[in-house]
Amino acid sequence: MHERGGDGERNGINRRSWLKALGVAGVTGLAGCSGDDGNASTGTESATATDGSELGTAEGTNTAMDELPDVSGTYRTDISGSLATLNPLYNNEQGAADVVSYALDLGYGFRPGTEYFPQLYDLTTDGGDVWVASVREGLQFGGDYGEVTAEDFVYQITELHQSDWAATADASSWPSEVNVEQTGTYEFQIELPNPNPLYPETYDPLLYPVPKALLEPFVGEQDAQGLENNPELTELQFVEGGNLGAYSLDQWNRSSNITFTRNENYYLREAEDVPDRFGNAPYFEELEVQVTQEQAARLGALEAGQTDSVAVPPNRVTEFDGMDGVDVYQIPQPFNEVCVYNMRDNGWNAGPGNLFQKKKFRQGLGCAVNKQALVQGVFRDYAQVQYTWQPQWSQWYPDESEIMQFGTGDLYGPEATRSRIREAISDTDYSYGNDGQLLTPSGDQVELSLYHSAGQNTERNMAQYIAQEFGDNAGIQVNVQAIDGTQFTNNYWQQQVPDDPDQYEWSNGPYNAGPREVTSANPWDMSVVFGLNTYPLNPTTASVFFSRDSSYNPYGYYPSWNAEELFQRANSAASEEELQPIFTEIFKNVAEDQPMGMLAFPADTVGYSAGIVGPAENFFSGWDFPTWYRNE
Amino acid sequence: MGLGWYIARRVAWSFVVTFIIVSVTWGLLTAAPNPEVQQAAQQAALAGDNPAEAQDRVRQLRGLDRPLHEQYIGYMTNIYTLNWGWSDSRAQPVTEAVTEALYYTVQYSVPWTLLVVTLGPLVGLYSSANQYSWKDHLATGFAFFGYAIPNFFFGIILLLIFGVELGWIPITYNTGVPVFSVENAIQLAIPVFVLVTGSIGGIMRVSRNESSEFMNADFVKTARAKGVSTFRIYARHVLRPTMVPLSTTMVAQLLALFTGSSILVEVVFSIPGLGRLLYRAIVAQDTSVVLGTSLFFVFVATIGNLLQDLVYTVLDPRISFDDR
Repeated sequence: MHERGGDGERNGINRRSWLKALGVAGVTGLAGCSGDDGNASTGTESATATDGSELGTAEGTNTAMDELPDVSGTYRTDISGSLATLNPLYNNEQGAADVVSYALDLGYGFRPGTEYFPQLYDLTTDGGDVWVASVREGLQFGGDYGEVTAEDFVYQITELHQSDWAATADASSWPSEVNVEQTGTYEFQIELPNPNPLYPETYDPLLYPVPKALLEPFVGEQDAQGLENNPELTELQFVEGGNLGAYSLDQWNRSSNITFTRNENYYLREAEDVPDRFGNAPYFEELEVQVTQEQAARLGALEAGQTDSVAVPPNRVTEFDGMDGVDVYQIPQPFNEVCVYNMRDNGWNAGPGNLFQKKKFRQGLGCAVNKQALVQGVFRDYAQVQYTWQPQWSQWYPDESEIMQFGTGDLYGPEATRSRIREAISDTDYSYGNDGQLLTPSGDQVELSLYHSAGQNTERNMAQYIAQEFGDNAGIQVNVQAIDGTQFTNNYWQQQVPDDPDQYEWSNGPYNAGPREVTSANPWDMSVVFGLNTYPLNPTTASVFFSRDSSYNPYGYYPSWNAEELFQRANSAASEEELQPIFTEIFKNVAEDQPMGMLAFPADTVGYSAGIVGPAENFFSGWDFPTWYRNE
Repeated sequence: MGLGWYIARRVAWSFVVTFIIVSVTWGLLTAAPNPEVQQAAQQAALAGDNPAEAQDRVRQLRGLDRPLHEQYIGYMTNIYTLNWGWSDSRAQPVTEAVTEALYYTVQYSVPWTLLVVTLGPLVGLYSSANQYSWKDHLATGFAFFGYAIPNFFFGIILLLIFGVELGWIPITYNTGVPVFSVENAIQLAIPVFVLVTGSIGGIMRVSRNESSEFMNADFVKTARAKGVSTFRIYARHVLRPTMVPLSTTMVAQLLALFTGSSILVEVVFSIPGLGRLLYRAIVAQDTSVVLGTSLFFVFVATIGNLLQDLVYTVLDPRISFDDR
């Protein structure tokens, strides 16, 4: 998933959903990563080469435990929105992916230290172009579906993801150039068009197991709707009684709660290659996911000890962290906070032309917002400032001296802003008035709209701060407007697919239906509705944001640098050493070109009951969720 | 002809009304572009296929290529055989979604209605019996307070006091408890209280003013002179004529059970009822659920109107149906 809106609640589970499909993973209250000791390290002078704490440190598999925890009680987590479906093939919501993972493991995950963690299958390669997947033996589906074999995965990939009718959430991960073949009962291989040493980190080869026998009737009929609505899938009936998940789905009361019971037969208990603490996992008798729409009620439940995990908005972290029964964790996450400029023809509704299309003008806007103040004021320091398309804790983050740091130091303030904007408007009829206002050719002050999600307080504060800074430093009046996320997606973010897509140079679906003259139903200027994914484990995936004709370019960005070529080189790099300079080059260009206002990297701030053992303040928190327990 | 014939005609008329409404919605839906067809075109464009072909395939699969009258008959048959389609935002049939939600809504709407309908007139009567005394002002103040304070805000405040501070009630509604149990009564007490205080004001004020009219009416004076007990005077001679104009307000009250205020209260108390179902369906653009819930409201409204007219006849013998 490329984007997220709202308040990033996470219950510490896999991050498959970050990648897959396009949808709004609703939630708010983002907060920032802390530095090493809880003091947010957002200082710009300090070198931000991190000590790796955000990515955790690798642990061996033989971390001995004196004795395994007792199994007891219920673990409850509260989320804000109800889920549309639990169908693993068609789910594209972050929250739903978390819930599915309680009852059904994915192919693999990552452990702290970015270590590959094989769950259902291991992935190995010699040269990076052919990857061999070895399926773990003894994996059982529920019902009469029997054992999980390589055949199930290969069938799913070739007959669904690579078909032209099924339109699964994973379809974009399996282009037809990728060749998949079964090479044994428990082994299949994936042949890539280009070598990719970081293939697992793209999450492309990540699959849920689904029995071939269940899929066959739908494949025969090419019935996508039937597959999408089949209760065996939507209610995960096909794993009931199997051993593929730590818990078994008990009941799904839509828009109220989802209950699970402990699965006695969880396969990772017997596994050799996992830490000892999986020995009797999981350690809760029951698991409950409660849908609580009202934030005050969610936080109240956490305070009263009625729930074990809730996302806490940044302005209340200190208060909750001070409570006896609650620990708030700052968990790094990959979505940024960006102010997106609409460079398509229905953007810049202030007057003639579209100044957003000019690099110099965007650089001017980059100088208008004080990022340091934004991080402190709006995100209460639970965030880091953002200068380019990578968080500062990522191993791919370039040397500070290499990139332009807009919004800080010399690159912040009215002078820095206006001088660049003056340069940008020198060949137009726009001008600066005597009182410092940016004027349209007809002499009115430039007025732009800025949208944020309705009901998201943190986001609203950010939008208002941007408006204030644009007014003070650029002389532009910004009107902040709240909008419902779904409405924004459908009528502003997505373009209308033209009747005849062939008349344009490209047309790649609703998120990039064509060049700039192809527009969404409604005009808009700027938006902070979505944060976008920076893919810190393998930024090659981020190429989608920076090429004119990718499948994701809602804002109509045309790079003034050789983006395609650089990402192409990154894609065909044979080793991580080879990748580093290429990424440095890419992130330097992104920082300079200012495709959008890159503002901050908030961390998720999640409050857990004090007795819960398991959560960690690193990017991989939750990789071992089945081993979490309550320390009474 | 009498009452029986009148009821029969009214019920038949309700059917005609729903039929017209359902037909109009069908017309609007057919005229609007079908999102599924558009989606298919987008997916085809993404995969580099021909969007027009994909659109045709979906039209065929969904029976959208049939002649209009066939589509219309199919649609109407589905509606009246309770086959209301599939909810995309909940991954279940619409009828299932509506019944599930109704199950939870009824649990608080029934006590709410009963309390409002019984307490409202009584408090009003009490007020008018003690007109302009401190008791009257207290009752009036109570009614106006409940009416004035927004339900969702009042709900959150009570939740904070009784749930978070005192820990007497669960903060989020627990769907796992039996309907008739102490736990359920405890968790529904606050939402019902909020709803009753929010809606009792209107009925209470109307009944106060109506009954004040009769307090000094000739027939009340006559009753007093005959030595009828005070209780009987209020109950038989004042309350009954008061209830005739009130019944209109009451039916409106009954209809309000499934709309407006319940959405906010359901959100605050996390009750998965009809209000939230409709609200989410609208936001998620889940057309079949919106239609389903709307049809349900249409049904409730027509029945409500019918009941209203029947209540008139029972309460006021002067209204006759012979000549209608």
